[in-house]
Amino acid sequence: MPLIINREKVQDSWALVSPEEGADFVERASGHELLLVPFDCLEVADALGSKQLGVQVTGEVEVEQLVPWLSKLSLIAIEFPVFRDGRGFSLARQLRRVGYTGELRAVGDVGRDRLGYLERCGFNAFLIAEEAYSDELLQAFSEISVHYQGSADDPRPIYHQ
Amino acid sequence: MYQYNQVDQQIVNERVEQFRDQTRRYLAGELSADEFLALRLMNGLYIQRQAPMLRVAIPYGLMSAEQMRMLANIARKYDKGYGHFTTRTNIQFNWPKLEEVPDILAELATVQMHAIQTSGNCIRNTTTDHFAGVAESELEDPRPWCEIIRQWSTLHPEFAYLPRKFKIAVTGSKEDRAASQVHDIGLHLVQNAEGEIGFEVLVGGGLGRTPVIGKVIREFLPKEDLLSYLDAILRVYNLKGRRDNKYKARIKILVEALGADTFRDLVEAEWVYTRDTELKLTAEEIARVKGFFTPHAYDPSAKDDASLDQQLKDDADFRVWFERNTRAHKVGGYRCVVVSLKPLLGPPGDITDLQMDVVADLADRYSFSEIRSTHDQNLVLAEVRQADLYAVWQVLSEHNLARANINTLTDMIVCPGFDFCALANAKTLNISDAINAEFENLDYLYDLGDIQLNMSGCINACGHHHVGHIGILGVDKKGEDWYQITLGGSGREDASLGKVLGKSVAADEVPSVLRKILETYIEQRTDEERFLDTVRRVGLTPFKEKVYATDH
Ligand code: HEM
Ligand code: SF4
Repeated sequence: MPLIINREKVQDSWALVSPEEGADFVERASGHELLLVPFDCLEVADALGSKQLGVQVTGEVEVEQLVPWLSKLSLIAIEFPVFRDGRGFSLARQLRRVGYTGELRAVGDVGRDRLGYLERCGFNAFLIAEEAYSDELLQAFSEISVHYQGSADDPRPIYHQ
Repeated sequence: MYQYNQVDQQIVNERVEQFRDQTRRYLAGELSADEFLALRLMNGLYIQRQAPMLRVAIPYGLMSAEQMRMLANIARKYDKGYGHFTTRTNIQFNWPKLEEVPDILAELATVQMHAIQTSGNCIRNTTTDHFAGVAESELEDPRPWCEIIRQWSTLHPEFAYLPRKFKIAVTGSKEDRAASQVHDIGLHLVQNAEGEIGFEVLVGGGLGRTPVIGKVIREFLPKEDLLSYLDAILRVYNLKGRRDNKYKARIKILVEALGADTFRDLVEAEWVYTRDTELKLTAEEIARVKGFFTPHAYDPSAKDDASLDQQLKDDADFRVWFERNTRAHKVGGYRCVVVSLKPLLGPPGDITDLQMDVVADLADRYSFSEIRSTHDQNLVLAEVRQADLYAVWQVLSEHNLARANINTLTDMIVCPGFDFCALANAKTLNISDAINAEFENLDYLYDLGDIQLNMSGCINACGHHHVGHIGILGVDKKGEDWYQITLGGSGREDASLGKVLGKSVAADEVPSVLRKILETYIEQRTDEERFLDTVRRVGLTPFKEKVYATDH
């Protein structure tokens, strides 16, 4: 799937390893340089000695649950099961607030018309469905070029700018 | 009033182009219907029974004469020559074409107007008292605070996909003309023991299928912390509000489920992170916004006028209108004029393009070029010299805008119902016509005194029926329209939810049932007692007995 990082199309080098019935998770998750796992598998995955560790969460996971892991994580992927589920916007905001500086990726139902808002909440990476991607999408970030509110890269609202 | 600077204008202009592209992509099949639905709703566009419906924002109900003329222009050019004012002080157009909506928005942008966040699961237009800034008993003008909230909430990146819609109301006096207690957040300007002015904060009010009165979670919030506190409330709601069932997704359900105390604790815990950040309002910013709402240059000789007394003596019709449709202004020699959008026959809240132009001209000539829209679907010319009232009244009368019925039974709040709304269970406009026909006699209405009648065509409660002294709710019984009646509600400072009178009544019985309710009131009332107070004192039983007597 096409991946955008910092407004550029790049190659995705992470692959999500989820538990599957009838398959041994540890076996499947071993030997990856970059290992991305669901939140529930974090502890197990941590012991496997991958070079870099990433976690994928939904809006169910609270920021406090992630805080102890932040220093070990190179990627946090927040899933939007449907575009209407706006919890990820707030979770991203909270993660940046507690000092997470690594890759923050929006995955799931991520469409063009939310890219600008997502970026302003602290996401810097966006995984887009193949059929929804075109290079023109990169224009979406700057459709609205001035803002009343602060954002992840500049917390100052308009009256402080 | 607030004037856009270059940034405000640019945001609105860019939003128009963004929406134009979204509409183009939808029509080209590049954007799914479901996704376009969410996007168009955030821009006030519904698809209704007849046609699309466009809701244009009137921030805190304040508009200029120039803006009103633009609304008239839109009604003429893109619609069927009229618009409908809503309980949230916006205006709706019932017949625009989808392809033309981007052009309508572009025209609106030329007069600093838009349809941003007038619908959808985001922070909606912030509303306030329609006598803000001119009411005698006001602690402070709430409108600068509404404008500060407007800017903060407009295109907010984090709060555009909330569990459900979110409505904020702000009041500045003890009288609550904004129904603030049935809003997701109600903010009341108050003074603490040290004499400082801040906000009392209520959360979790709302109507719809589960009506709830908001609960105070903070008795005093320092002014400069307004945005950080709102931010904390919204974040808690965005993360914890239910998303599995849209009927349980409003903040009121979350507050009820957690309890107000737990909810407050969560908000205060979140606030710790945001309180001392850039969200803290600066004195300069507060002063800058307040600078747009300074008092007008009132005529100091206005109070010396003697013509009004004479006109009141000479013209009984004028006197009746003066008593019913004007209110005191804090400056001597000035009055607030309520323009009645409740004519004898015609949907409450509707206004034609010509009437809009007439009101705009009156505002230019007599009321500092400003007009307000009210929560009860009327308009206000808030600052008219008493010497000019007669002239204003004559013009309003000529255009059917001076029915002397403000705060009487026929000053009803009514949603569009089945004639326009795809969600409706029953018609409402035929019922309001029938009520108007039954209670045509104004003297009878004056004898009844202040009565708020509110009607909704379904349980969504757009017509605020739960908080009407008399509430009427349309229900569908085997394909027929029936109406459930509630008594004793109030959306004011003494907010309460109406109680159901009994089994619902057929459409043609509504006027006679109302007649019986009012007769009961007249029998039961003590001197000067308002309808609402009588209902509260005697309870529903006498009313029930009268209305359902023949059934036994
Ligand atoms: C004609 C198209 C309209 C549609 C499809 C519509 C839809 C809805 C829905 C679904 C709700 C319930 C929301 C909930 O309970 O969460 C609602 C509530 C409401 N609507 Fe409308 N509405 C329409 C027109 C209007 C009009 C004309 C007014 C004003 C007269 C209005 C004012 C309101 C208000 C004040 C509420 C109550 C909010 C609350 O529950 O706190 N709406 N609307
Ligand atoms: S109350 Fe029901 S019928 Fe009336 S406008 Fe709202 S959704 Fe439509």
